[in-house]
Amino acid sequence: MLPPFSYVRAQSLDEALAQLGASDTRISAGGSDLLGCLRDEVFTCSKVVSLSRLDALRGIRDDGRGGVRIGALTTIAAVASDPVINQRYPVLAQAARAVASPQLRHQGTLGGNLCQKPRCWYYRGEFHCSRKGGSTCYALAGENQFHCILGGQGCYIVHPSDTAPALVALDATVQIAGRGGTRRVPMARFHVSPRDDIRRETVLEAGEIVTAIDIPAAPRGLRSSYRKVRARGAWDFALAGVALALQFDGATVRAGRVVLSGAAPIPWRSEAVERVIIGQALTPEVAARAGDAAVEGAQPLKRNGYKVPLFRGVVREALLALAQ
Amino acid sequence: MKEHPDAQYYIRGIELPETEVSTDLEPWGETRVVGKPLPRVDGYERVSGTAVYPADLTLPGMLYGAILRCPHPHAMVTAVDVRRAAAMPGVRAALTAFTPLDRATRPHADMIRTQLFDPHCRFQGEAVAAVAAETAYQARDALRAIQVQYEERPFLADERKALEPGAPQVRDSGNQAGETQVYQRGDVARGFAEADVVLDQEYRNECEIHTPMELHGCVARWDGDRLTLWESTQGVYNVQMQVAATLGMPFSLVRVVGHYMGGGFGSKLQTSKYSVVAALLAKTTARPVKLVLTREETLLAVGNRPASNMRLKAGVKRDGTITAMQFWGSGASGSEPAGGVSLLDWPVRDTYTCANVRTELTDLLINAGPARPFRAPGHPQGAWALEQMMDALAEAIGMDPVALRVRNVPTVSQARGNVPYTSTGLRQCLEQGAAAFGWDAVRAEIARQGNRGTVKRGVGVAAGLWVAGGGGPPSTAVVKIFADGSVNLNMGASDIGTGTKTVMAMVVAEELGVAPDAVEIEHADTGSTQFATGSGGSKTVPTESPAVRAAAVDVKRQLLELAAEELKVEVSTLTLRDGKVVSTQDPAVTRSLTELQGLRRRRSLTGVGYRGPNPANKAVTPFAAQFCEVEVDTASGEVRVVRFVAAHDSGRVMNQLTYQNQVFGGITMGIGFGLTEERVLDVDQTGKMANLNWHDYKLPTMLDVPADMTCVPIDPKDTECNATGAKGIGEPATIPTAAAIGNAIYHATGVRVTHTPVDPLRLVAALAERGEG
Repeated sequence: MLPPFSYVRAQSLDEALAQLGASDTRISAGGSDLLGCLRDEVFTCSKVVSLSRLDALRGIRDDGRGGVRIGALTTIAAVASDPVINQRYPVLAQAARAVASPQLRHQGTLGGNLCQKPRCWYYRGEFHCSRKGGSTCYALAGENQFHCILGGQGCYIVHPSDTAPALVALDATVQIAGRGGTRRVPMARFHVSPRDDIRRETVLEAGEIVTAIDIPAAPRGLRSSYRKVRARGAWDFALAGVALALQFDGATVRAGRVVLSGAAPIPWRSEAVERVIIGQALTPEVAARAGDAAVEGAQPLKRNGYKVPLFRGVVREALLALAQ
Repeated sequence: MKEHPDAQYYIRGIELPETEVSTDLEPWGETRVVGKPLPRVDGYERVSGTAVYPADLTLPGMLYGAILRCPHPHAMVTAVDVRRAAAMPGVRAALTAFTPLDRATRPHADMIRTQLFDPHCRFQGEAVAAVAAETAYQARDALRAIQVQYEERPFLADERKALEPGAPQVRDSGNQAGETQVYQRGDVARGFAEADVVLDQEYRNECEIHTPMELHGCVARWDGDRLTLWESTQGVYNVQMQVAATLGMPFSLVRVVGHYMGGGFGSKLQTSKYSVVAALLAKTTARPVKLVLTREETLLAVGNRPASNMRLKAGVKRDGTITAMQFWGSGASGSEPAGGVSLLDWPVRDTYTCANVRTELTDLLINAGPARPFRAPGHPQGAWALEQMMDALAEAIGMDPVALRVRNVPTVSQARGNVPYTSTGLRQCLEQGAAAFGWDAVRAEIARQGNRGTVKRGVGVAAGLWVAGGGGPPSTAVVKIFADGSVNLNMGASDIGTGTKTVMAMVVAEELGVAPDAVEIEHADTGSTQFATGSGGSKTVPTESPAVRAAAVDVKRQLLELAAEELKVEVSTLTLRDGKVVSTQDPAVTRSLTELQGLRRRRSLTGVGYRGPNPANKAVTPFAAQFCEVEVDTASGEVRVVRFVAAHDSGRVMNQLTYQNQVFGGITMGIGFGLTEERVLDVDQTGKMANLNWHDYKLPTMLDVPADMTCVPIDPKDTECNATGAKGIGEPATIPTAAAIGNAIYHATGVRVTHTPVDPLRLVAALAERGEG
């Protein structure tokens, strides 16, 4: 049922990096999706390197400058319940709570959530689609009710992560280790659009591991929230979602980021919305214009036209809720 | 043996023996055990893991079977090469359309109409080949090594296009299964002419797939010429007869055992190909074979509630008289006739008083997995149309929706030629349900508050009845009492998770004056228990409980006769209580069962009970009315079901807990049907199923089901329907649910979404169309 693969439980980060040499080696962090992908032949692999012993990559720490560093192996559940995250970065706590189901939140890791594979049913099913090296995006002319309205080209997935849009909104940075050393990538540049490369979802190179996510200190007047709409109450990905991290000065939005989930192949920063709201108080009129701006340039497919009014409404209501 | 004259879907095509009729039993007065909220007699086994389901069974030398399934919706298998698979480690057998054993199977009208591995594959998931190997993993690996050449054919995935010119043909006979069925009473044209208001509306339900928690599967073992199947089934005798017929064996040589099962809902009433495959693999290898389907296989191949397209035109007078109803329905059986429109029009035909009714049903064929009976076939769909229409009619004439329904409660079954019901609790369901819900008050409150803001509140009602649910012959039950006073009940019926065993133990306990957990039960084994029809149609309790009661009464009669002789009193003065024979007149006259000399000498007494016929020229029907409250976020299209009140007339409540369990489970399933579940086929490209997993096929979760559910049992004290006064509850419980939600959504938003599932995709689009959102 599964391809034959060897299994290594690395005792240190260095060992893990050394083991990652081969090209079709896969990392197991929480492991909540790896076996499913292998069983469904989404990809193959000859070696699995488990990170489960790397306790140094677990936990949430104050970085001493008002920000926090979250180890990549920290579970989604730990992020969701962490008092500091809840206090400083409600958008991330709310996004973490919106992930999947309790079991999966206890098993899945933050790093894994950022690096997860798309959930497009053609990509996951018995369809040799473009992202798997084929020549067709079946979603384009097929059952595309759950697909993107923004940013698609050649592939029309939506990025499935809830925590990623929250971290983009918070201007977080991903810490990446490789055999050549470490590098840091802003969250906003961590995910790869199909316009740039249809075969990959992140900038991670073979042999690299996400080790931590750094979130800068919350600026004065920061208010943040995550709103997710799904087809059922749990264990479901976003039909539409919006992560807000806005700095208020009184009633006026001074700065901030608006990032959509369920809209595009990557967490979709909506500068169009930001332009409408920055410098404004979030009145119903401004919020409605922001909702309209969220779907500016949207190119709905045959079956996902509902996402246009959905994003319009969700962005509007999320802004009004945050303004209260 | 003969076909039952009123054959319902759950016994259609199955030969049924006639049983004798037990002496009429007086209705129970006050009961001591029956009706109490008793926990399940097998609760410990089920929750501790000691209950052995077929998938748990491990036999010495057992192999694991697996089935290769066609990945295309329509293809001809031109060649199958199993050489590489057969040579793999652990692989012990491989069967294909070209193996002599397959050719030896016989077509069966209800199961396998052609060859077992029919080279003409008409749906994705059709069986192409099978293997048996030492481990389940080896078997799955071997499937991947089988080389199949498919010649793909044009496919039809959308039944709405089945009759278009040039549509791909599913079968040579065309894309319609049988003739369009027409039912008519009165004159609808005249009825519409008499109406003050005529409304005409189309409705659609998407296909809902059977997803019982326990996967379909079995273990097959041969002892010489005798085959034993441990099967996850709703009816061991159904499997026995169908497997025997397919393999050309006498029934007596096929033993089917089904002690525990984890959900069937209609998908396990009939035998599936895999059981025959397992038997053939076991025969070939001379080893026991376990064959359990994967979740993906069950999503494709073992049944669904087909999509339905309905149009209902209805006329009403200002005073609430429904003058005419005309209904058109179509649905898809799958690639062979399998009840694609089964009972779809029954709610329209029979729920409300209406003199002029005409219905037309057209069953279509498509290249997709087969329909199977699914918890109240046709009824939740038909109710989705009828009950929303009733609300629209009520609004059009300015009448309260409950009042319009109460105004039209029938006392006779119009669709059966006006035969009276043995009991009809529909009015009480509506009135007492409305009272328990606070219908008038909450509607007044919502009207007063004006429902401003984006989150809107609404309430809805829907009613229903279930065509079956009265049960009937045949059934034979045997009750034995041993010299130590312990009791054994022997019955053929399966307990499909509804609590049948618990209810039957309570019936025995009621009559014999013992504790229910003192009743040991042998059941669902064709080798050692009596004939029973499959547990389906909400008829298990009304069918089996009178037979079980009759068997217990037979034992009781024998015991009391022995006791009367020994105590030298009139037998009519004696009864059984707390393991003793006691006198109803003299407290001094008492004897423990273990002290009865007659019983000690005989070691045991055996009573036999039969299910007698239902009353002549009467209909036995369960009724229901459900009420719900929802909150609709008009910005997002999210629906939160806040609470449900379910009032049911299913006759006597045999056990409050199992009854409530059925009601809450029925509501949960109805929420899935109404709000979340939908088979998605890649209709425009490949015809393959897109949401072929339990994440993309969206069952409702705990968070989609309200914690606030109230069950209001209505007991009409039906002394006519049968000797226990019970009618079925399993299916009625899910019939009105989706329609009640649909009506509540309309009440909240003013938007009527006529197409299920009403998920944010559909609702936000409908709201946007109206200019909201």
